[in-house]
Amino acid sequence: MRLHACYAFALHARPKPKTNQFRPLARVAYYCAGPLSNFLYYSQVPAAVLPWLNLAIPAIGLLLVLIGVARAFRQPQLYRGKILGSIFTVLAALFFGGSVWLFIYVRDVPRSAAAPQVGQRVPDFTLPDSTNQPVSLAQLFSAAPGTAQPKALLLVFYRGYW
Amino acid sequence: MAISVDPPDVSEHLRQKQGYTFTFLSDPNTEMIRRYDLLHKAGGPEEHDISRPAEFLVDRSSTVRWENFTEDIRVRPRAEQMLAAARAIQW
Repeated sequence: MRLHACYAFALHARPKPKTNQFRPLARVAYYCAGPLSNFLYYSQVPAAVLPWLNLAIPAIGLLLVLIGVARAFRQPQLYRGKILGSIFTVLAALFFGGSVWLFIYVRDVPRSAAAPQVGQRVPDFTLPDSTNQPVSLAQLFSAAPGTAQPKALLLVFYRGYW
Repeated sequence: MAISVDPPDVSEHLRQKQGYTFTFLSDPNTEMIRRYDLLHKAGGPEEHDISRPAEFLVDRSSTVRWENFTEDIRVRPRAEQMLAAARAIQW
């Protein structure tokens, strides 16, 4: 909490005489936005925009800290935060760097050019299920007792290590 | 049906924990994953080979009717999107 308060303080470099009540609130909202934006992956927000949002938020944060620290150095009679502002500039830069690294890492996915395309047939297989029983593609299409034969099958490949 | 490199007991644990009723298949030697060209070399912990995320909707003749390959491992199709894709197809 204290650290957050310091960060809030450093973001815009607080004017010396009086603090506007709305500014700290805006800053707190901003800190929450970064971590909370990760939960948007579970929401109805179009998933394609989320990686860019995760990149934009730390970028905006870094920009705001830079504006704040520039004010503190240019108009020290009006704005505080030379030391804290500098520390948080470094932290915000590291945070932004980490976000850029993550953005590149999560997009490092093989191209899979030879994967089955729409209209092509998928290769058959037999693999153990979670109870160690061998299961083939044909078996997955056979009807379970008391149910109709499935029309379609969804194959979901996932990264594992859960 | 879900498939990964996780061994059967790990998949069973996940299945029970999440209450999933569909089949989980294990491909620890990445045989099927390679045949589908979905191998992500050293993509897992400790440089282990894993499957990249991918979804295929196939009909009874094993023909792909819809598929999805993400560019970002954080971005996966939602259940509603896949159901909508399935409903839009003449089976």
